[in-house]
Amino acid sequence: MIEVKDIRKRYRRRDVLNGVSFTAVKGEITCLIGVNGAGKSTVLKAIMGLTPISGGSILIDEQALRPGLYEKIAFVPDHLTMPAGMKLSEAIRFMADFYESWNNERASELMQFFRLEPSDKIGSLSKGTAAKFNLLLGLGQDSDYLLMDEPFSGIDLFSREAITNVFTSDLIEGRGVLLTTHEIGEMEHLIDKAVLLQDGKVSRAFNCEEMRYEEGKSVIDIMREVYRA
Amino acid sequence: MNTSEGWTEVAFNNRDPVYLQVVRHFKEQIATGRLAVGQVIPSRRELGALMKINPNTVQKAYKEMEEQQLIITEGNSPSRITNDTKLLNQIRSELLGEAVSAFVASVRKIDVPVDELLQLVRSKYEEGGPEHD
Amino acid sequence: MNHYLKLVHMEVHRFRWVIAILMGITAVCQISALIWTVTQELSRRREQLPLQIGNSFQAPAQEQLTFEWAMFNTQLWFILPILMCISVLALYVFFIWYRDWMGRHTFIYRLLVLPTARYNIYLAKISAFLLFVFGFISFQLILLPIHNVIFKLIVPADQRAGSHIVDAISRNQALVQLIPRQFEQFLYSYGIGTVAVLVIFTAILLERSYRRLGILYGLLYLSGCVLAVMSPVLFFAFDAQYTYLFPNELYAAELIMFVLVLCLSVWLGMRLLAKKITV
Repeated sequence: MIEVKDIRKRYRRRDVLNGVSFTAVKGEITCLIGVNGAGKSTVLKAIMGLTPISGGSILIDEQALRPGLYEKIAFVPDHLTMPAGMKLSEAIRFMADFYESWNNERASELMQFFRLEPSDKIGSLSKGTAAKFNLLLGLGQDSDYLLMDEPFSGIDLFSREAITNVFTSDLIEGRGVLLTTHEIGEMEHLIDKAVLLQDGKVSRAFNCEEMRYEEGKSVIDIMREVYRA
Repeated sequence: MNTSEGWTEVAFNNRDPVYLQVVRHFKEQIATGRLAVGQVIPSRRELGALMKINPNTVQKAYKEMEEQQLIITEGNSPSRITNDTKLLNQIRSELLGEAVSAFVASVRKIDVPVDELLQLVRSKYEEGGPEHD
Repeated sequence: MNHYLKLVHMEVHRFRWVIAILMGITAVCQISALIWTVTQELSRRREQLPLQIGNSFQAPAQEQLTFEWAMFNTQLWFILPILMCISVLALYVFFIWYRDWMGRHTFIYRLLVLPTARYNIYLAKISAFLLFVFGFISFQLILLPIHNVIFKLIVPADQRAGSHIVDAISRNQALVQLIPRQFEQFLYSYGIGTVAVLVIFTAILLERSYRRLGILYGLLYLSGCVLAVMSPVLFFAFDAQYTYLFPNELYAAELIMFVLVLCLSVWLGMRLLAKKITV
């Protein structure tokens, strides 16, 4: 379980995060929702140690953050973060070199599934292809958790479908997924839990099926309530 | 026959629990005869991929169907539709009943004598019949 | 240890083309200059000798050409590529960090989430940088006997006189600094250089950790370190009239300041990278 407890962060006089708390459980897909600039990416970066927080704590399976833990947590940022001159095969080699949890067979399967060419260079990929490879770099790890920052933004429809298919396949099975998005769209029936961020705090957090069962409301309905009010 | 067609075109609305929509879909498939008595159904994982929904949702749906005794899971073998024909007929009538209630509710607003209504239903049915399957 | 080595390899590998090109340019430039200068002199001699029979003014060179002479007269073209390498390396002190933040594919994200201690990244960068510096120096050292061989090939034996390679080096103003005769001097020069690079690394990390104020902090740190290492001289030896310290004591004071600045920079740099850095 990823536990985020009351984290705070200031950036240029603005409280980007003003006491955010939520949990993301292994085996479930949790979605952080918020308008642009709500701090969703910042939360993910804080969990990954990419930016410091000024208060609160983050625990992964009840342990404080340390480098060794990142074998268990795979991160798919909102852009591909490998040098432009690297070939896809070299990037995979890089991951295999540093991560004991790297699964080379799965990486090869995904290369074929996404129809990627190992000798292509990172810099030459189109946006959709880069997003797929980015996802591959995350899924190639046998991690317990998978964090994804805006996996669908700016991607063409077919790449988006390919990526959506990943969520329903056994590639995700058993992992705890935490993703951020500002448009839930067709994704709604794929996620288990929704956490809505507003003004640096969690304004609603709920299990989607329960919300549908108990109040007959979709996630988008709740979003309207929260963001229009 | 376990064609994948029956599973991939299902549209979900986002206001009703998805798992209940899955259960309902199963019931419809049974009522229309697409799913036979004792037939093997896809595994949780397969169904999630086919219907493009969260495997946890499929899990919930299967659990619900097991509780309603709609499907049977024995050990590690794949789940199958129940052999209880009585239960299956019950489902058929249940769905029929729902459809009829909905229909009656919607035509009640149009004041029409029952005989005329039945004639209309018959002609419409026969018209659409041959193309149905 | 393994991760550290892999990171060093990664840093060297991504710079390999620059190294190759710089070495290539250096070799070509120096060898061409050597060949050109020597053949010029040889042909000048062939032409001049008949002209100056009977004149008694001195020939610009001794009777026979030496490698030492060749080194002296090719200085400019030898030094230019060396300066080029130094400039590139000087820029790379900064670029080795900033390149990971630049462009669409910010590699720093990938480096920082690796399941390895952050100080390995720091150590890998300084190690790679030192490898580059000593690599270039070694390359130059290897080139020198090669130049000597080329010299011997071009100049006919009867016009050639021997010279010691060490004397040859000392005729080139740049090489004499870069490849000191005494090991102690080598240690001092390159030790100070390493400390300077580490101070700059820390200043860069300050800039990257504190966005807007970062540049200010970085520059302040830089100035602070410069003042610190100059302080023994400033306080105790500036006044030409009398110095408070014996030379030995001054030397010790300087050494201490350098060590302090070194330790502080490394500690601060590693700490910033581990706790304060932000993408």
